[in-house]
Amino acid sequence: MKENNSAAKAAKLPAAKFGGRGLFVAIVVAAVLVVAGVALWVYQLAGGMVQTGMRNFDSWGLYITCFMFFVGLSAGGLIISSVPKAFGISGFGGISKVAVWTSIASTVCAIAFVVVDLGQPLRLWELFIYSNLNSPLMWDIVVLGTYLILSCIYLWAQLRAEQGKIGHKALRVISTIALVCAILVHSVTAWIFGLQQGREMWHTALLAPWFVSSALVCGTGLVLIVSVILRKVGYLSLDQKHVVNLGKLLGAFVCVDLYFFGCDLLTEGFPAASGAAVVDMLAFGPLAPFFWIEVIGCIVCAVICFTPKLRTNVLLIVASALAIVGIFCKRVQLLVGGFQLPNLDLPGVVTPLTVTHWEAGMTEAYAGMVYWPTPIEFGVALGVIALGALILCLGLRCLPLKPADES
Amino acid sequence: MRYGFVIDKQRCIGCHTCSVACKIENNIPDDVWWNRILTEGGDEMDIPAGEFPDTTISYLPVNCQHCENPACVKVCPVGATYKDLETGIVRQDYDKCIGCRMCMAACPYTGVRSFNWEEPRYTLGMDLGSASSPKHQKHTVEKCTMCWHRVAEGEEPACIAACPGRARFWGDFDDSSSEVSALIRGREHAQLLSEEGTNPSVYYLI
Repeated sequence: MKENNSAAKAAKLPAAKFGGRGLFVAIVVAAVLVVAGVALWVYQLAGGMVQTGMRNFDSWGLYITCFMFFVGLSAGGLIISSVPKAFGISGFGGISKVAVWTSIASTVCAIAFVVVDLGQPLRLWELFIYSNLNSPLMWDIVVLGTYLILSCIYLWAQLRAEQGKIGHKALRVISTIALVCAILVHSVTAWIFGLQQGREMWHTALLAPWFVSSALVCGTGLVLIVSVILRKVGYLSLDQKHVVNLGKLLGAFVCVDLYFFGCDLLTEGFPAASGAAVVDMLAFGPLAPFFWIEVIGCIVCAVICFTPKLRTNVLLIVASALAIVGIFCKRVQLLVGGFQLPNLDLPGVVTPLTVTHWEAGMTEAYAGMVYWPTPIEFGVALGVIALGALILCLGLRCLPLKPADES
Repeated sequence: MRYGFVIDKQRCIGCHTCSVACKIENNIPDDVWWNRILTEGGDEMDIPAGEFPDTTISYLPVNCQHCENPACVKVCPVGATYKDLETGIVRQDYDKCIGCRMCMAACPYTGVRSFNWEEPRYTLGMDLGSASSPKHQKHTVEKCTMCWHRVAEGEEPACIAACPGRARFWGDFDDSSSEVSALIRGREHAQLLSEEGTNPSVYYLI
């Protein structure tokens, strides 16, 4: 009887219920996947990257796609958290710290995806000794590192502010710096691609603002999903109005992102010159599935977010998931699309190292998607994502991320 | 100095001798080619465009263009690919390369850069070519060095001497009395993808 009583009591106190068996299982599963991912990565390095789907003509693949995607995911959390504080407006309830924590987990994933993509990870130290400050990749390494450190400082500052040890003015300054850095990190990631004159699809001034808008879409989506789930499992209490506001914000961001997409397609296609090939490839060519999933998913997301009757918790989660999947599809289009249209597509000697599907010659290699990942890449990518999940769960378990009024 | 190549497309017969000479001289691993001969014609190698008897075919040998304004050099985060200021040759330091492949994404000339996706393999089981050409390394990017090791000793690149059609020339474009300068003065010529603004040091006589 005594046991039953205490169980009933625990159920009434949602906070006490959270962090039990479910979270523990999640942490163990994530840790196992991380270990498996590391093992696969070592296997990839030992046996050679020939085991991946990447080749000379499509020299980046799933890892760099995921890198772009996770840089984007990391933005939303930090921006959602810092904008209200920086501008002194009311925020989205108590989700600020959880939002920053998702951002930190995503940033770690992004950095890890660059590392697993490197052929010579043991030479990483060279980045700090021989830094070529002209390289957008170098800018990104500097900004991403700063961003990670700053996110941690920002989280720490929020915790100190709650204890009254840091003034709100100081917190506001830190929020503003974090916000600027968040926008910078996305612009710089876009410039890795956007500054390359050699790739028609990437070379546009729109890319940096577009990366910021895409980041806002999937970041807001992630924060929405995480906060609704955390409320459901009793980790935090969140007023429904904040959820609805997040939903409206997501709708607005999705529309901006679609607008940029439309502008880009029109600018590429209208002259009916070489850019028309890009539009054709996206809408009707090998990348069409990713294109249409993004476009339709984002439209459905916007409809859900803007229709008051549809703004139920379940549908908002569906909308967020559609937005996140849509932005992932955007990343696939951007990365594979950059390689799908070679500048020199004349026939010549083709070897197993030239292009992914080399067997039937150049024409066949480009008939479908020029690149498709191999199982080892999926495995390593899963390991990196598990690392993010592990960091997220460990934070929820060990760090005081709950809203201040509850703890 | 601005060393570079002139390639006479009217003389090139698509025999791939320069490719093979390059492969031997630099001991290039299996399945890797720094100098590729592309067919301008039909959809397959060595197949002309059009219907007999109205067919056309020509060849486009493509190696690193050693651009005056190289896209690859700007983006390399560690300076493993760099321009030698004295000769204008775009070089690659295998010991420095971290294998990020940013240069491959940046280079507009599809396929001139190659990555050693595996431990270099050699069908013959022994090293060929010059002992002074640098050793190939797994998981690093490499490309035509303009036979740096030969140029440093006052010799011309291996592909030049090997061309049976005498379609390839090499020299200094900054020296107006050089053979290559005279060739582009006297003949109609083009640079590959000149719209990219890279100003290649390879000129094709057309």
